[in-house]
Amino acid sequence: MKQIVVLTENHAGILADLAECLAARGINIEELQGDANQAGGVVHLTVDLYDEALVALRDAGFQAVSEDALVLRLADEPGALARVAAGFKSENINVRSMRILRREAGHTLVALVTDEPERAARIAGADVVVRAGG
Amino acid sequence: MTRFPEREAPTVTELASGVVHAVTETGAGETSAPAFESSWGPLSAAARGRLHALLSRVDGASQTQVGYPCNQAFDYSELFPLFGYSLNNVGDPFATSNYRMSTHDIERDVVHRFAQLTGAEREDVWGYVTNGGTEGNMYGLYLAREMYPSGIVYYSEDTHYSVQKSLRVLGMRSIMIRSQESGAIDLQDLEETLRIHRDVPPILFLNVGTTMKGAIDDVGAARRMLEELRLGDHYLHVDAALSGMILPFVSDPPPWNFSAGVDSLSISGHKFLGSPMPCGVVLAKRKNVDRIARSIEYVGVLDTTLTGSRNALSPVVLWYALERFGAAGLKRAVAHCFDVARYAKLRMEAAGIPATLGKHSITVVFPRPSDEVVTRWQIAPLKGIGHLVVMPHVTHGMVDAFIEDYLAHPPGPGRPNHHGARSLPPPPVAAIMDLSTKVSER
Repeated sequence: MKQIVVLTENHAGILADLAECLAARGINIEELQGDANQAGGVVHLTVDLYDEALVALRDAGFQAVSEDALVLRLADEPGALARVAAGFKSENINVRSMRILRREAGHTLVALVTDEPERAARIAGADVVVRAGG
Repeated sequence: MTRFPEREAPTVTELASGVVHAVTETGAGETSAPAFESSWGPLSAAARGRLHALLSRVDGASQTQVGYPCNQAFDYSELFPLFGYSLNNVGDPFATSNYRMSTHDIERDVVHRFAQLTGAEREDVWGYVTNGGTEGNMYGLYLAREMYPSGIVYYSEDTHYSVQKSLRVLGMRSIMIRSQESGAIDLQDLEETLRIHRDVPPILFLNVGTTMKGAIDDVGAARRMLEELRLGDHYLHVDAALSGMILPFVSDPPPWNFSAGVDSLSISGHKFLGSPMPCGVVLAKRKNVDRIARSIEYVGVLDTTLTGSRNALSPVVLWYALERFGAAGLKRAVAHCFDVARYAKLRMEAAGIPATLGKHSITVVFPRPSDEVVTRWQIAPLKGIGHLVVMPHVTHGMVDAFIEDYLAHPPGPGRPNHHGARSLPPPPVAAIMDLSTKVSER
């Protein structure tokens, strides 16, 4: 099942806003899991209309990450991303892009696109928030 | 307010009598009526009404535009006759073209003037007038990719979002580097990341004036880092969209341009100079551009630009603005922006709104206002902050009106951007009088 990760603000009604924006386009949420801290929330969604959901979330101003990316939670410190990159490099995994999604209290959420997402997820281990392909 | 001129619609009788020419087939050597007169019908009342409404809306919006870096203070009415021609700057401005209704000569002049402003020797750089900063940045990345196909692009998280689109289009590998609180690239994070990929040519994409905070990446330190890490094969592009027209006029600019060793540089034209259409200038070391030259027989030019047909009016607009400003005028405009930006920061702080203003920046950053204030003043919010970009058209009075509105319509309690600002006190006259900006004496 394809998964979408949505990075949200952490205030009352945010989940209702999210559900409403999908319902308005006739998109059914099949699974929804979320966790939140002071800085914001991370919501994992599976839906029946994947591409339409990505468009609806984008239009509503949500930061949505498709399953093409591997999302990691790293320490918010210089070099944290570099160390992950070093791990991939030593395993000959080609990283196409690495970008910071959000920096929160003590942590950074990073999206990675590699040629070998499954192997990359195994190497990243406990840092993985969501892996490509669900 | 400006109005579109009314044009009498030709009657059927006029068309029939030839007062207004109809479309005719002509042979060689014959003259025909301009197609415009014959094939364009009158504008309907509804369409004219729509134009009036558009003009009215845009005119109204221009009165409260403080959130985007677009100077509104310009008058290009002298150029209006040029709208009567199908101008096109297809191809390389430094090559000849078979299409003669171009403004290549003026475009070359603009490129030379920008080269002078960016510490380049006229003969050492090549450039052209772009559709805006994004195209200039894409061009820099394109050059870098052609030189180092396996290179990795490093850019900070405060880099304009369009760069990620360009990276995708160009299929370039990339790593985002942390930003400091100021918005400038975190050099420690950059160095640690560069160390890991020492076998791959680094392509540094640095910002001289970030979009949200006006922060300036330390170009000099980045250059030194490349040398210390012995990364001989490298490329350095600078996005100086806004600050590229400011730093040439301050007395103590940080290293940011060709003098500091950058390979290419993109500056927006519609931002500080002001323009009715988006435009910009990209400049690159000529020796790099020569490596990617491609011959396009179709128009008889050696075309090294990204697009085919190119806007020929925007070079004239930029040239005209530079002529009208003059060096002294630009210096005064920069000083005005620094003064008003400092004033805005002081006034916000006096009103209890935490505001920041970086060195050499005209971007005042504050907690995100309420949605209605965002809409009314065209603020570009991001992650809980908003900013006021003090362009030449922004006055002390606009700043006061904005702050009063900000305070009158605070962000809702419970929202992460609620900050509990208080009412606006009288202007801090002493502080306003001491707005010592360091504008170059050149």
